[in-house]
Amino acid sequence: MSLVSGPGRGGVAAMPVEMRLFVDKHVRYIQSLDTRKDELEYWLTEHLRLNGLYWGLTALHLLGHPDALARDEVISFVLSCLHDNGGFGAAPGHDPHMLYTVSGVQILATLDAFDELEKRVTGGRNKIGQFIADLQDPETGTFAGDEWGEQDTRFLYGALNALSLMGLLHLVNVDKAVAYIQSCANFDGGYGTSPGAESHSGQIFTCVAALAIAGRLDLVDHDRLGAWLSERQLKNGGLNGRPEKKEDVCYSWWVLSSLANLDRLHWIDGDKLAVFILQCQDPELGGIADRPGDMVDVFHTVFGIAGLSLLKYPGLVEVDPVYCMPRSVIKKCLGK
Amino acid sequence: MASHGVLRGLGAGVRSEEARQKELQQIAAYNDLVELVNTKVAERQYTIEVLDLITKLLNENPEYYTIWNHRRRALRYLFAAPDPKDSSPGPSKRHAQDLVESDLRLTFLLLRKFPKCYWIWNHRNWILRIAESFVQTAEARKLWSEELQLIGKMLHADSRNFHAWSYRRFVVAQLERLQAPATSEPPSREARQSLTESEFEYTTKMIKTNLSNFSAWHNRSELIPRLLAEREAGSVARRKMLDDELALICTAINTDPFDQSIWYYHQYLMSTLSLDCPPQDRIVHDLSNHDRQKYYAHEMEYIREILEDEEDCKWVYEALLHCAGCYLEVEGGTQAFTTRDMRYWLDQLKRLDPLRKGRWDDLGRSLKL
Ligand SMILES: [Zn+2]
Repeated sequence: MSLVSGPGRGGVAAMPVEMRLFVDKHVRYIQSLDTRKDELEYWLTEHLRLNGLYWGLTALHLLGHPDALARDEVISFVLSCLHDNGGFGAAPGHDPHMLYTVSGVQILATLDAFDELEKRVTGGRNKIGQFIADLQDPETGTFAGDEWGEQDTRFLYGALNALSLMGLLHLVNVDKAVAYIQSCANFDGGYGTSPGAESHSGQIFTCVAALAIAGRLDLVDHDRLGAWLSERQLKNGGLNGRPEKKEDVCYSWWVLSSLANLDRLHWIDGDKLAVFILQCQDPELGGIADRPGDMVDVFHTVFGIAGLSLLKYPGLVEVDPVYCMPRSVIKKCLGK
Repeated sequence: MASHGVLRGLGAGVRSEEARQKELQQIAAYNDLVELVNTKVAERQYTIEVLDLITKLLNENPEYYTIWNHRRRALRYLFAAPDPKDSSPGPSKRHAQDLVESDLRLTFLLLRKFPKCYWIWNHRNWILRIAESFVQTAEARKLWSEELQLIGKMLHADSRNFHAWSYRRFVVAQLERLQAPATSEPPSREARQSLTESEFEYTTKMIKTNLSNFSAWHNRSELIPRLLAEREAGSVARRKMLDDELALICTAINTDPFDQSIWYYHQYLMSTLSLDCPPQDRIVHDLSNHDRQKYYAHEMEYIREILEDEEDCKWVYEALLHCAGCYLEVEGGTQAFTTRDMRYWLDQLKRLDPLRKGRWDDLGRSLKL
C-alpha cells in the first residue's frame, strides 16, 4: 500500500482527511462498551459477550493501546465464563461452546495469562484442550460446537486455533481434520460450511487458516482461489462475501487475510479498500460499521482495523492473518 | 454487537429522558424473564408453563443459544412424560407430536423474521430428527417433504440465503435416506431413483427466474456428476449433457455478459474438461486432447463474438485468456489465436480492471506475454 511510503513520518495527522483513522475515538468507543447497561441492546447481546471482549481487546492491541482495558478485570471475567468441563460460555451462566472457548483462549494468549489460568484453575489448560478435543468427530475429522453436535468448518478452525495457541494440537487428529477441509473444496477453489456447500468468504477464511495452522497450505489452489477472492473487490473498494452480493467491512478481513495467507495481497487495490474501511468509521463517537453511514459495532470495528493493519496502515500494530491477533503474540505462543 | 445494514441516523446515542426511562423498563422486564427461565431450568421444572416462558424469551431474543439448549432439555423430559390431558401412564405419542408441531411452528415464525440465525436452523433440524424417532417411515417422509416445501418458500423470498441452500441439501439427503429400502440387497434402479433429477430441475427453474443466482448454478455443478452416474449415462449421453450445458451458459452469457455468476459456471464447465479434473467430477470421461482443443476453440469463437457488442466487458477477456491457456496446455500450436491476440486481451484487462492490476501482471508473467 502506497501509504507506507506516502506521507512519511508525519503520521496520521498529516494524512488527507479521507485517509484518517480516528484512533482515540475508537479506543474510547471500545472502552464505553461495558458501560452501556442502560441500553436494551447491551442485554440482548449477552450471548456475544466473550467474543465481544476478544474483538475489543484485539482492536485495542492493534491500535497500540493494549492497556485501555484493565488486565485483571478482563482475566477475571474470562475465567468466570469457564465451566468445569473446560469449555467457555458467552458470559457467566451461558452454556459452554466452541465459539466462546476459542475467544477465551485467544484473550488469555493475548494477555499472556496462561500462568494465571493455571493458578486459578489447576490443570486449566489441559481441561480446555480436552473439551475441544472431545468435540472432534472421529469418523470425519470435523468438529461439533458443543454437546448438541452441530458441525461447521468454523468450529474446526476454532479448535485448531485454540489448541495451537496452547501447544496442544497433538490432542486431535490433524490429518483427519485436513482431509475434511479438502472434502469441502469447490471447483472455484473456495470452501463451504460442509461438503457440497457453496463457497463463502467466511468459510474460506476458516478453511485456509486451519490449513495454515496444520502446515498444509500446499493443498490450496492458490491461483484459482486467489482469483475468486480478488473478484470480491467492488468498484467502491469494499469487498463482498460471495458473487453478486453487497460489500461489507467484515469481509475486508475474511477475504484479505485469505489473500495474505495465499501470498496474493497484491491482487486487489489496497488503497481503495483502506479508503472504504475508513469511510465506515463513525467520526464522532468512534467505531466502524459494515458500510458507510450504518450503525457501528465492535465486530466490524476489529475486522476493519485488522484489515487496515494487513494493508500496513501507518501506526497500527501488525496483525497475524491466520489468528486475527497481534503478530507478536503469535510469535511468542508458537515460537515462530 | 454485530449489526448489518442498520442506519446510524442523526444524533445517534442521544435519547430523551422519556425514551431512556422506557428503555430501562424494557431492560428490567427482559432481565426478569431471563432470570425466571434460568431459575426454573436450574430447578429442573420442565413443565409446559416453563416451555411457554422459554418461547416468550426466544421470541424476544432468538440468538440466546443457552435458552435453545434449555428448550431441548425441557422437551427431552416432556417427550418421556405422560400426557397431562390423558390419564394413562407412560409417554404419549400424541403429546410428543403436539410438542414437535408447536416447535416447528415456533421456528418457522422466527425464521421468517431472522432467516440468518444459525440457532433457529439448528433447533429445527434437531426437533425433526427427534420427531423421526416417534413416527413410522411414511410419516417421517411426510415431515421431511413438508420441510422441502418450506425451504422452497424461503428460497423464493431470498434466493441466495446460504443457510437455506445448505438446509435444502440436508433435507434432500434425509428424504433419500428414508426412500432407500431397509434391506441389505442392492436396490433396484427405480428404488435408487433419488431426488437428483427433481433437484436438477429445481436449479433450472431458479436460474430461469434469475440468471444471476450463483447459489443455484453452484448446486447444479454439484448435481451433474451424480445425475450422470444415476442415469448410468454413456459416452453419448455425457457429451450431450456437456453440450447442452455449454449451450445454456452461452445463452446466459449473451443475455448478460457482465454477470459474474454466469462466468463462474462457465469456468466450472471448462474445469471439467481439464486433464487435472478428478475422474469422479468429469462430465465426459473419454475426451481426447483433440476433443479438448475443439471445445476450447469453440468456446473462444463464440466468446469473441460477444466482443463485437461488448468490447468493455472484462469477463470476456479473462475467459479468452483462460481458454487460451488451456488450449496451449493440450496443444503446442496456436491456430485459433496468436500471441498478439493474447497480449491484446491482457492489455484490455489491465485497462478495464485496474483494481486487480497485480493479478493481471502475474497472469502475464505466467503466460509469458
Ligand atoms: Zn459484516
